[in-house]
Amino acid sequence: MDILLTLILLLPLAGGVINACFGKRLPRPVPVFIACGAVIGSFLAAVGSFSLAAGDGYRLVLFTWLKSGNFQADVGLLFDPLAAIMTLMVTGVASLIHLYAVGYMEDDSDQVRFFALLNLFVFAMLTIVLADNLLLLFLGWEGVGFCSYGLIGFWYRKSENAAAGRKAFIVTRIGDLFFAVALLWLFALFGTISIEGINAQVAGLDMTTITLLSLLLLVGACGKSAQLPLMSWLPDAMAGPTPVSALIHAATMVTAGVYLLCRMFPLISLSPTAMAAIALVGIATALYAATCALAQNEIKRVLAYSTMSQVGYMFLAVGLGSVSAAMFHLITHAFFKALLFMAAGCVINLAGHENDIRRMGGMRRRSPLVFWLFIAGLLCLAGAPLTSGFFSKDLILATAFAHGDLFHQGLYGLGVVTALLTSFYCFRLAYLVFGGDYRGDELPHEPNGLMLWPLWPLALLGLGGGLLNLPHLFGGDSWLSGWLGREQDVLHLTITSEYLLIGTALAVFALGWLLAALRYRRYVHRPGSVTAEFLLNGWRADELFDLLLVRPFKKIGRFCSQGVEIGLIEGVLSGTVRGCNDLGTRLRGLGAGKVNLYLHGLVWGFVVIVGWFLLRALI
Amino acid sequence: MIVPMEHLLILATLLFVLGLGCVLVRRNLIMILIGVEIMINSVGLVLVGASAFWQQVDGQIMVLILMAITAAEVAIGLALVVYLHQQKKSIDVGIFDEMRG
Amino acid sequence: MIATLMFYLLGAVALGATGMAIIQRNPVYAVIYLVKSIFALALIFYLLGAPLVAALQVIVYAGAIMVLFLFVIMMLEVTPTSAVEATAPGWVQWAPVLFLALTLVALTLILIGLDPLASEGVPRWHASPRDFGYSLFKEYALAVKIISFQLSFAAVGAFHVGMTERKRAQLEDVS
Repeated sequence: MDILLTLILLLPLAGGVINACFGKRLPRPVPVFIACGAVIGSFLAAVGSFSLAAGDGYRLVLFTWLKSGNFQADVGLLFDPLAAIMTLMVTGVASLIHLYAVGYMEDDSDQVRFFALLNLFVFAMLTIVLADNLLLLFLGWEGVGFCSYGLIGFWYRKSENAAAGRKAFIVTRIGDLFFAVALLWLFALFGTISIEGINAQVAGLDMTTITLLSLLLLVGACGKSAQLPLMSWLPDAMAGPTPVSALIHAATMVTAGVYLLCRMFPLISLSPTAMAAIALVGIATALYAATCALAQNEIKRVLAYSTMSQVGYMFLAVGLGSVSAAMFHLITHAFFKALLFMAAGCVINLAGHENDIRRMGGMRRRSPLVFWLFIAGLLCLAGAPLTSGFFSKDLILATAFAHGDLFHQGLYGLGVVTALLTSFYCFRLAYLVFGGDYRGDELPHEPNGLMLWPLWPLALLGLGGGLLNLPHLFGGDSWLSGWLGREQDVLHLTITSEYLLIGTALAVFALGWLLAALRYRRYVHRPGSVTAEFLLNGWRADELFDLLLVRPFKKIGRFCSQGVEIGLIEGVLSGTVRGCNDLGTRLRGLGAGKVNLYLHGLVWGFVVIVGWFLLRALI
Repeated sequence: MIVPMEHLLILATLLFVLGLGCVLVRRNLIMILIGVEIMINSVGLVLVGASAFWQQVDGQIMVLILMAITAAEVAIGLALVVYLHQQKKSIDVGIFDEMRG
Repeated sequence: MIATLMFYLLGAVALGATGMAIIQRNPVYAVIYLVKSIFALALIFYLLGAPLVAALQVIVYAGAIMVLFLFVIMMLEVTPTSAVEATAPGWVQWAPVLFLALTLVALTLILIGLDPLASEGVPRWHASPRDFGYSLFKEYALAVKIISFQLSFAAVGAFHVGMTERKRAQLEDVS
């Protein structure tokens, strides 16, 4: 049993390391086999050890990593229900994406580096999921940051890609700083960084400390999950290959923030201020991202903003106190968003490597299969009835509604508005890409078989995933809430309220579809309005950051490099050198054989010596 | 009593310092030797003054011996100046810098 | 009284003459001024009760050594227009020496001030040549012998060093 658990972590690590060190020397298909095999093996190990996690979970310490005085950090696994379900999702979706990537990267010459990074990424993500102490989690945290940098900027020869990778790394780093501060503070408070240890002792702290700690963790989570204000890296990250977008920016890295908050839930749930802050951040981001998605013209950017928006929903769920709602939405979102990204990759190929949806259209005729798979994903995203997206989003909104007070009703209202926008931009995307006639002039590039069939399981999971946490009204028993040990998340609303909520959700879905159909069914070329421009650029957030942060930073850098470094330090050093040179030149004059000088030296020396003795005699 | 001893010593010191100045500043070899002469002269003055002070004749004898030595030294010194002039056709002390390095 | 006055007067003359001597461009003028200073000093010697030394100062110092200087100056034809010291040293060159001079004077003054005997007066006396001669050839006979040796090898040395090029070459051909 221990071996199985260890294998979950070790197989991706081994795959990544072998590919990184020896991949270039192995014959062509072998590195790919190693990579896929590693992840699939990890998934099978996760399936095998799933039963271990029931109830209280299973703990396994592999070895002690750091030990110094009071401080001890082991490499240990905490395989509790939360971790188990997350592991299963991560390894499962990652396996499918690896298979997809084999087809996608078929023609690329740098496959080995790609698959090595991908495997290492999975390893780092699993470290985050399975870690039993915060330091190991932080290691995985940084690991996913680094791997995502390497994967986003995979085609580094184009400088925009490298810049996007850099931006992602730097922005998430800012969040990581706050997380690190929280980590150190927790150690200072409790003397341990074990997650269970901390969660057990939080009850004794005062409210300010708890609130501050929670806010620090929130900022850390915002960085990784691309929430406000650390969200600007996610749209640019679409510069990476599509499997990367599918894995990192749909299913795994962006959900790491939510996962952290769920792990530390006993801590953050104690502070109502922090919970309100988390909920506000979530809903604000959801709304912001949904508005931006309305105006995007590249297919992957629509999906990126959509991810940002849905993760905002997950944050909202955590802020409302419902871990199972957050996890439920996380898992269903992973399914359909990965599906959407991979299908988008197929669509881009079908449109002849064209990204811009204004130059697509009529894709349905080019490949009905891709059309139906994409639609499946879009239906889940928009919350079509009985899809998994419907159930998970509805659970979140119902939890908001159930709180009853004005603040939460407001959150509910905003959530409904966002759902309307979501439905609208989903169908906008559908109509612009698949409807009507083809507007471009490229030849299709048929997607590989390998790019198509991993989409099927995801479509099935997406459509049927609602079974994971089916509410009582539909005949289910909320399995996920029970598994996670959070029966308190199961809502008990009146039948009327339940029907009201479902009705609102259906109405919003239909309204969005209708509006999108009205506007986009027949493509009309509209010149970009001011609002569209504003939304296209993400409310000009990038420019704001540039003004507030980047430019002053560059000024400081210029000052330090030119003012301090060149002026002061080099000035001092060069000045010293010049001074020494001058002194040396002058001293050289002494040895020039000038009799005059020698006479002077004689007399002066005499004066000095006599004066010295005289003064010594006097004083 | 003619004069306090210190006045004599001050006069001798001033003469000595003038000779020293001549040695250090002038670049003509002959002038340097003249400076040396002035210095020796002032020493002679001190010796005579001392012999008068102690009322012993030894100081004067020393002055005589000093003069003899000075004569010898000047003779050889000026012969050297002649030699150097033969070598470099100049008696500027800045030219004789073979002692460098 | 008169002696004191004479002393100061002669002291002033000596200082003035020496001062003029050291700033002359022409070495001949410098020598002449120096002779003047020597005369003044000789008179001071006489005042201090050393008539023989005063006479010897004039005969040997002014008469022989300074004349030797003049001989060599004339022989080497050092004139103010020659390349050597076309300009006499100016203020800048004298300044450090002035400082040095002041330091030395200060040191000497300190030393003099430390000695309690210094403020005593130099008494008037007179050392007759007879006493001088007695002391010279009785107590300092050895010194007389030695300096006569020295004078002879100084003469030999001066002769050898001061040879002309031709003469030197002739001698080397022979050896």
